Amino acid sequence: MGVLSVKQIRAWSLTFALIALALLIVLPLLQIFIQSVYVDGQLQWSAPFRTLAASRFVGVLFGSIWLGLCVIAGTTVLALPLAWIMSNTRLASWRWLDVVLLIPFMTPPYIGSMGWILFMQKNGYLEQLFPSLHFLTPFFFSFGGMVMIMSLHLFPFLYLLLRGALVRIGGSLEEAGAVMGGGFLYRFRRIILPLLLSSYGMGALLIFVKTIAEFGTPATFGRRIGYEVMTSEIHKYISSWPIDFGKATSMASVLLTACLLVWYVQSVINRKYTYRLIGGKGSRPSRLRVSGWTTGLSIAFILLLLMASIGIPYFSIIAASTMKLRGIGLAWDNFTLDYYKELLSWGSESMEALLNSVFLSLGASTIAVMLGTWFALVIGGSRTRLQRTVDAFSLLPNTVPGIVMVVGLILWWNSPWMPIPLYNTYGMVILTYVVLFVPYTVQYVKSAFTQVDTALFQAGQVFGGGPSYVFRRIVLPLILPGMLAGWMMTFTIASRELVGSLLILPPSVQTSATYIFAQFEQGQVSLGMAMAVISVGLTTLLLILMESLNSQRKWK
Amino acid sequence: MMNKHVFRTGWKKGAMLALTLTFGLAVAGCGTATPSKDGAQATGSAGQAGAASTDQKLVVYSAGPDGLAKKLVAGYEAQSGVKVELFQGTTGKILARMEAEKANPVADVVVLASLPSVQGLKKDGLTLPYPDAKNADKLNPDWADKEGNYFSTSASALGIAYNTKLVKTPPTSWADLAKPEYKDQINIPDPSLSGSALDFMTGYLSAKGDGGWTLFEQYKANGVAMAGANQEALDPVITGAKSMVAAAVDYMTYKAKAKGEPIDIVYPKEGTVISPRPAAILKSTQHEQNAKAFIDYLLSDEAQKLVADASLLPGRTDVKADKRANLDEIPLLKNNWEWMGEHGPDVTEKFTQMFK
Repeated sequence: MGVLSVKQIRAWSLTFALIALALLIVLPLLQIFIQSVYVDGQLQWSAPFRTLAASRFVGVLFGSIWLGLCVIAGTTVLALPLAWIMSNTRLASWRWLDVVLLIPFMTPPYIGSMGWILFMQKNGYLEQLFPSLHFLTPFFFSFGGMVMIMSLHLFPFLYLLLRGALVRIGGSLEEAGAVMGGGFLYRFRRIILPLLLSSYGMGALLIFVKTIAEFGTPATFGRRIGYEVMTSEIHKYISSWPIDFGKATSMASVLLTACLLVWYVQSVINRKYTYRLIGGKGSRPSRLRVSGWTTGLSIAFILLLLMASIGIPYFSIIAASTMKLRGIGLAWDNFTLDYYKELLSWGSESMEALLNSVFLSLGASTIAVMLGTWFALVIGGSRTRLQRTVDAFSLLPNTVPGIVMVVGLILWWNSPWMPIPLYNTYGMVILTYVVLFVPYTVQYVKSAFTQVDTALFQAGQVFGGGPSYVFRRIVLPLILPGMLAGWMMTFTIASRELVGSLLILPPSVQTSATYIFAQFEQGQVSLGMAMAVISVGLTTLLLILMESLNSQRKWK
Repeated sequence: MMNKHVFRTGWKKGAMLALTLTFGLAVAGCGTATPSKDGAQATGSAGQAGAASTDQKLVVYSAGPDGLAKKLVAGYEAQSGVKVELFQGTTGKILARMEAEKANPVADVVVLASLPSVQGLKKDGLTLPYPDAKNADKLNPDWADKEGNYFSTSASALGIAYNTKLVKTPPTSWADLAKPEYKDQINIPDPSLSGSALDFMTGYLSAKGDGGWTLFEQYKANGVAMAGANQEALDPVITGAKSMVAAAVDYMTYKAKAKGEPIDIVYPKEGTVISPRPAAILKSTQHEQNAKAFIDYLLSDEAQKLVADASLLPGRTDVKADKRANLDEIPLLKNNWEWMGEHGPDVTEKFTQMFK
């Protein structure tokens, strides 16, 4: 009993994780690579390089990278103060805010961008409400506007990671600093910052790859201001005649390489700056520096943030969903709820789409959490090369633009020699969501797990706990919040996933996202917006329910 | 083509086998790869020959408009008892899906919104000719294939859509859009996303020669903005953010107008381009009889009436639309489809570069 069997379990677990990752992620992506070097029935190794040599390409690549860096800056400005407020001030008891702050992230990016566009454009809602503010329009339709929209969409993501880290840091370390006479800035610089760095690095990397892999905002807003990025280029080659998978996949490979480089840098930082914080002594939150005006300032900050990330886009979305005629604009006699009635009638196409979304994402998020937790535990502290390989593989779907990953999956699962008839079934959709979103759980669980001191496991063993007992009573409770966050994240994004669904849903099947997209394509903007309100509302309700169940359990 | 196809899948199979082995995954997939594929093909063709009458399935990939595609499918289902699986998307989405499924095609019939792309499918040998289609002789011969590889069962015309609250006297010629009074007020759909917009550009250029580029240069100079696919270009005009769309698809405008939106369309006097919407049977079809019956249905009186009701131009010359301008009321450019098909990619490239 003990050491040897634990080692064996680890080795087997690692092997199986690698096999699973290879089957689910790596081989489908290799299919893409094959496609990119295989032109008109002939093997041409130089094909990707020829694509890359095309002069415009370099500019587009830098456009993507610059956007990614700016969005990291933007999300940091929004998420860092918020995380600090929500872990160090009295407002930390506002747990509902965590659910509310998921709303921007749950809003499909192209819908959020549409909301902003409708609000800010010429003759838009802002101008209809405050005609004198029309001078803002040209300032908004710029690169800065795009960074703002994307930051407002992605910041909750960084916030959740940072808050988690700050809560784990707890108050005692900082209090020690204060006792020794360190001022606030000194404490921030010498205690909080180094401890925060690994979580921040992880979050920033994910923000970066999410940004450069994002398609919705560049497609709606970027196109308006003529800002081209890799995803819009790839999408062009993949969805307009003549289709050129070769060019698209070559570009995707470069994007992938860029992301892997960033990932490498991040993992170096991570290894250097990870500290064991949960040592079994328990921690309590710090309430050191909360004076009256800090609270006031915090409330103001949160209100402004909510206004910009939810208030404005949802004003537009709801307004657009209740308009009889879009050409008339904001007017009381132009108000109608007919679109909602049409959507919610039982047995209608839209209802079916909505139910499809809910069930598909429930299935996908549950499977993704189990797989992701497993991978995260296998990765552990990513000390060995194999562990780092698992880490890199499980991150791949987050570093490849969704559309590329999806094409890889189609090529792989619809091959003539594939013995499992998964293609064109619901199973395929669930599998696609799982593959696309498994990195979230991996990240969240990893972030929770790497800060648990191994001394805790050793203590468990010393007291005679077998591997399963140690896992059940020590590891599981500590990583459960991470798993829950991963589940929530996966559910919310899966329920609004668009790019993959468009390509992979069996004929005659729709989800809420493809339904919305189809309405926009058909000119039924109001109907599409109504569906957006309903599907985001539904996910929010579900999350509130879960959150309240969760906190009740905590009370007992 | 057949040879190439066999070679291709053969090569791929080999490569995948090698890859799979390299990864140390000697699992079921490899061992059964060859027999399972051959087996599937054999049963596929046997099933087709022996069970034509019990074949109750058809997979259709159709470009919008959404409502029309659904009505056509419902009409065919009611008539034949066949269950149709319908996938809807833009022409680009459908082509992408077909490309991804190349090794194992699923669709039986495709309905696209662009003639050059179906000509491309024909050139690649992907279409199944059906020269005996009923009523095919009544189709507009300019848009159909003589060998029966595709049938343009509906069409749209391109015009200038304008917001009636913002534009009191609509322009009458394409050149009017270059006037200073319309500076920064006009959208034009992106030809890489809109097949019909591309049809307009290539059609205009094929009729006017290289001098045709002057018009687009003037547009660019007048701040015309390239704005997504058709509906994305039209929507800002409905809400009043822009005043007009050049090369707007007419049926979308008619539909918005019928709802009561402040919008209308004109066809410039020097002529415009029609964008036919072809349907084709794919050679890889597993349900050939049903696919042929579906084409027959699309050409029937009933289906053509549905087309006209959706504010599209009927493909048959003997069916008239009463909710929109008919073909004889629309001035046309003398465009060359052959040239348009060949030069599509170059024109897209040059145009999108110019308007970026």
